[in-house]
Amino acid sequence: MTGKIFKAILLVAIAVLLSCFALIFGVLYDLMKSQITDELQSAASYISEGISNEGMDYFSDLKVKHRITWMASDGTVLFDNQTDAASMENHTDREEVQAAILEGSGESTRYSDTFGEKTIYYALRLDDGSILRVSRTQHTVTVLILGMLTPVCIIFVSACVLSGLLASALSKRIVRPINAIDLEHPEQSLVYDELSPLLSKIYHQNRIIDRQVKDLQRKQAEFTAITENMCEGFLVIDKYTELLSYNSSALRLLGAEVPDGRHSLLELNRSEEFRKAIELSLQGERNEQLMNIGERTYQLIANPVQSGSVVVGSVIVILDVTEREAREQLRREFTANVSHELKTPLTSISGTAEMIKNGFVKPEDIAHFAANIYDEAQRLIALIGDILHLSQMDEKSEPLCSEDVDLYELCEDVLQRLKNEASKKSVSLELQGEHAVIKGTRQILDEVIYNLCDNAIKYNVQNGSVTVSVNRNGKQTVLSVKDTGIGIDPAHQERVFERFYRVDKSHSKEIGGTGLGLSIVKHGVAYHNASIALTSELNCGTTVTITF
Amino acid sequence: MRNQFNRQLEQLNTALITMGAMCEEAISSAAKALLENDVQLQKKTLVLRSDIKQSERSIEALCMKLLLQQQPVAGDLRTISSALRIISDMERIGDQASDIAERAPFINQGGGTGRVRIADMARAVIKMVTDSIDSFVHKDLELAESVVAYDDVVDGIFSSIKNELIALMNSDIQNSEVCIDLIITAKYFERIGDHAASIAEWVEFSLTGKHSDII
Repeated sequence: MTGKIFKAILLVAIAVLLSCFALIFGVLYDLMKSQITDELQSAASYISEGISNEGMDYFSDLKVKHRITWMASDGTVLFDNQTDAASMENHTDREEVQAAILEGSGESTRYSDTFGEKTIYYALRLDDGSILRVSRTQHTVTVLILGMLTPVCIIFVSACVLSGLLASALSKRIVRPINAIDLEHPEQSLVYDELSPLLSKIYHQNRIIDRQVKDLQRKQAEFTAITENMCEGFLVIDKYTELLSYNSSALRLLGAEVPDGRHSLLELNRSEEFRKAIELSLQGERNEQLMNIGERTYQLIANPVQSGSVVVGSVIVILDVTEREAREQLRREFTANVSHELKTPLTSISGTAEMIKNGFVKPEDIAHFAANIYDEAQRLIALIGDILHLSQMDEKSEPLCSEDVDLYELCEDVLQRLKNEASKKSVSLELQGEHAVIKGTRQILDEVIYNLCDNAIKYNVQNGSVTVSVNRNGKQTVLSVKDTGIGIDPAHQERVFERFYRVDKSHSKEIGGTGLGLSIVKHGVAYHNASIALTSELNCGTTVTITF
Repeated sequence: MRNQFNRQLEQLNTALITMGAMCEEAISSAAKALLENDVQLQKKTLVLRSDIKQSERSIEALCMKLLLQQQPVAGDLRTISSALRIISDMERIGDQASDIAERAPFINQGGGTGRVRIADMARAVIKMVTDSIDSFVHKDLELAESVVAYDDVVDGIFSSIKNELIALMNSDIQNSEVCIDLIITAKYFERIGDHAASIAEWVEFSLTGKHSDII
C-alpha cells in the first residue's frame, strides 16, 4: 500500500515538475526572444540617429552589449564593434541584410552549434542607404536546461523523499482503523463508508461459518456418541496408515494407550494379521482376518475407502469374537463327540452281527453275542434318549408342570434306587438334613439328583462314601452331594459340564454312561433358576452344591 | 516442502515398524520351528528373510533420498542416521533367524532341544527383540535402556547352555554332532540378542543424541 501511494505521489510530483518546466521554457523563452528583438530595434533606431548625426565618430565612444555592424549599401562592412571591419566579408547575402535593403528593416536568427547559442540579428536601412545591423546572442533551450540540471536533481530527490514519507504516513493513517476492525462483529465498526459493503459481506460470511461449524460439531458429537458407545473397535486411517479417527473401544481392544498427535496405526499393533488386513484394504480389497491378542480372539474387518478408483484410506472394525470362537470350538467338539459316541456302539453291534451272519459263532455262544448286541443297543438308546432330553431342555419345550417337591424325600427315593450300584462298589450312602419343599418339576429334579449321585458312586473308590444333604438356609434351599472319590483335576473342573466331556477319555466304556449326565444336571438346574457350584480336590473327593 | 519431509519421515517410521514386526515374526517362527519341529514355520522364516532384505533396501533408499534432498539437521538427522543403523541390525536378525530355522531339522533329528535351556534362550531373545522394537515404536527411552541391560541375562543363559553342552558331550560322545548344532544355534540366539541391544542403543541415540559408542 505504501509503495502504491508513494508511486502515485511521486508520479504527480514529477508530472507537475515537468509541466512547469515545459510551461516556463515554452512561454518565457519566446517572451525573452521578443524582448530581445524589441531591444535590438530600439537600439538600432538610437544608433541610426547617432550615425546620421555624427557619422563614423559616433562609434568611438559608444559602449553597448550588442554587436553592431555598419555596412555600406553594397554590403561592404564599414564598422564592427567586435571584429575588425576590414577582415569581414561582404554581408549582402545575409537574410536580414537583404530584407533591410528591400523592405527597410529585417531580422533573422542563426544557431551556432558549437557554442549552444543562437544569435538574433536586426538590420535597418539608414536614410543614406547604408545598413546598420544590431545583434545579440542568446543561450539555446538545451544549454539553459543543462544549466538547471543540478537544482532540478535536488528538487527531484527531495520530491522522492517527501513522497516516501508522505506515502508511509498516509498508508499508516488509512490502514490503522481498518486493522482495528473487530472481524467478529464487523457490523459494529464503521470506519470508512467505502468499506461497508466488505464489512457486511464479512458479517454474513461469519454467520454462515458459525452455522456450519455448529452443524459440523453436532455431527461430530453424534458420530462420537455412536462410535464411543460401540463395543466394537473402530479405526479410520489414510493411505499412509496414519490414524485419522478412532474410538476408545479400539484402543481398549488393541491394548494401546491414547495416542497424541499424528501416528501410524502400526504403532498400536504390528502383528502379522493386522498388517495384512491394512495392506490388503489399502490395495482396495475388503478383507477379514482373525487376530489373537493374549487369550482373546479378534476379528478384523478392513474396508477400503475409495474416492473414484483411488484408495484414499481404510476403515477397520475390530470385533471381539473370543466367545464366538469358543462356542464354535465347542460345537465342533460336540459334533465330533456325538458322532464318536454314536458310532462306537453301532460298530460293536455291526461287528457282532456280522460274525453271527457269517457263521463264525457257535450256536451255544449266540445268546452271549445277542446279549452283547442288546447291551450296545441299550447304550445307544440311552444315549439318544439323553441327547433328545437335552435338546428338549435347550428348547425349553419340557412342559412346565410346577409342583411342590420335597427334596429330602426325593433324595431318599433316588438313593434307594442306587443302593444296588453302591453295594457293588461297597460305597456307603448317607442322607442328612431336613425336609425342604420347593417349587419345581419332579421329573427333572429327580434326574438332576440321580445323575449327581450316580456320578458320585461311579467315580468313587472302593469303600468310599457318598453324603447327600438337604438344608434350609433362610429362603434358600441348599442340596449338596459329597463323595470321597477320585476328584477332578482343576484343569477339567470348568469343562465337566460340557456335553460328552470326559476327564478320562480312555476308560469311558468301563465306567459307562453317556457323557451327558452333568450336562443334563446343568440344564436341569438352570431350568429351576438355581445355581450350581463344584469344588473338588484330586484324589480326595468332589462336592456339588445346588442352591435353589 | 517441509510438509513433504514430514510425510516422508512418517513413511520411514511406518516402514521401520513393519520391518521390525517382520523381524519379530522371523525370530518367533524360527524358535517355534526349532522347538516344535514345525516345517511350515521353517519355510516361513526363510521367506521372511528375503522380505526383510527387500525392506532393508527400500528403507535405505528412502533414507538416502531424505539425506540428499532434504539435508536434515539435529533431531531429524539423528532419526535418519539411526534408522540406517537399525535396519542393518534388523537385517542381521532376519539372517540369523533363518540360520536357526535351517539348522532346526538337524537338531530335531538328533534328539531335539529338550536337554538344554534353548527354550529359555529363545524366550529371552524374543522378548528382547519385541522390546527393542516397542521402544522404537513408542519412543520409550526406559524400555530401550532395559533392553540393553537385558543382554546380560541372555549372555548368562548362553554360558549356562555352553556348560550343559560340555557336560552332555563328556557323558555321551555319540551325541556330539547335535551338541555342536545346539551350541551354534545358541550362539545365533545370543547374536540376535546383541543386535536387539544395538537397536535399543540406536533408539536411545535418536532420542537423546547420546550413544555409548560415540563419546
